[in-house]
Amino acid sequence: MSVLKPLDKLPALNTATGLLVGTEDALLQQLADSMLKEDCASELRVHLAKSLPLPSNVNRPRIDLIVFVINLHSKYSLQHVQESLRHVDASFFLGRVCFLSTGAGQEHHCSIHRNTVLKLAHTYRSPLLFCDLEVEDFRATMAQRLVRMLLVCAGHVPGVSALSLLSLLRSSETPPPEEL
Amino acid sequence: MSVSQQDLDPDSTTDVEVVTDTEEELIKECEEIWKDMEECQNKLSLTGTETLTNSNAQLSLLIMQVKCLTAELSQWHKETPEVTPLTEDFLVTLGKEEFQKLRRDLENVLSTIQSKNEKLKEDLEREQQWLDEQQQILESLNVLYGELKNQVVTFSETRIFNELKTKMLNIKAFKEKLLITLGEFLEDHFPLPDGNVRKRKKNIQDSTKQLITLHEILEILINRLFDVPHDPYVKIRDSFWPPYIELLLRNGIALRHPEDPTQLRLEAFHQ
Repeated sequence: MSVLKPLDKLPALNTATGLLVGTEDALLQQLADSMLKEDCASELRVHLAKSLPLPSNVNRPRIDLIVFVINLHSKYSLQHVQESLRHVDASFFLGRVCFLSTGAGQEHHCSIHRNTVLKLAHTYRSPLLFCDLEVEDFRATMAQRLVRMLLVCAGHVPGVSALSLLSLLRSSETPPPEEL
Repeated sequence: MSVSQQDLDPDSTTDVEVVTDTEEELIKECEEIWKDMEECQNKLSLTGTETLTNSNAQLSLLIMQVKCLTAELSQWHKETPEVTPLTEDFLVTLGKEEFQKLRRDLENVLSTIQSKNEKLKEDLEREQQWLDEQQQILESLNVLYGELKNQVVTFSETRIFNELKTKMLNIKAFKEKLLITLGEFLEDHFPLPDGNVRKRKKNIQDSTKQLITLHEILEILINRLFDVPHDPYVKIRDSFWPPYIELLLRNGIALRHPEDPTQLRLEAFHQ
């Protein structure tokens, strides 16, 4: 049971690596493409995974940022993400993990309540982002945000560390008590 | 990783020496930082891993955050910002970069303003065209107005009044003429059977009433229609000669009352 640790290897020169975890392959691929299209001084690498733990036989660089993509339309994706969370080291959550939920736009398709995801992000003290990954414009904006976060987590932005970024981001308020 | 720049030609100019010196210094700095990093990395790899469950996540994460933030804070306090030595080539490269950036920004601004300018020119052209069209419309309307003005006769009340009076007189005269012509026509073609009445005086005993002419019957009917429009029915009297009644009925000039066969009305030709 290999656990993902932050800062477990020396960083590659001028490279920042992100990991997108989620069950929706097509959406992850599109998001990764949008992220790689972004213009920035450092070299970006984006890995995709359906769930953790990652296969240990692959030689990969150290991961700077993990983004858990939850599709509000399927309980399956939430389950997978919750299982994968157990394979992540605790020190990752000091600013190097982010939750992204998609599909909040179509209310009648949502099988997961918004509050569930809010609670999850609140429990793990990590930022929660909402985005409809199907729409190209929203996806491009979200890719920009993720690339900036990735650069901060990789240390390419002088003066801002992953932890300070986390403190600067407004932490999710306690979600309202379950009405159901 | 150390580049041996000392193998340079000892007769090289001072510029090159200065350059190599700064390069060397930078490389030395980088190597020191790299060594520090490797040390830190070794220390980090010794720390154990710890996974979280939903129940203990919040508390342990918060405690960790507190520790790390205090550590970062103390680090920021200790650290003093190091200024890179402002040697000439540093300044020159920095200056060049700044100027490049400035040039790019100015070019952007220039292109934006140029495109805005073009757009404004197009808008101006379009507005000018519209103005010209409107002016043409105005001119043609003015011409029309002038023409119409000439045709208008001066307005005077008395003239209209007199015109109406003459119209009315004409219509009245026409009406009189029509009535006279009608009367003559009826007399000629629909006379009263005076001769017959005298012959059959013995047979018909109740013909005490004088028969009235068709003209008079029509008059009665017309007057009734216009006097009492909601009840234009006239009771058939003995003074009406029956054949003439039949004539009026059969030709659609008079109508019977739908419920009372003894009542007649004139057909409303004017409605």
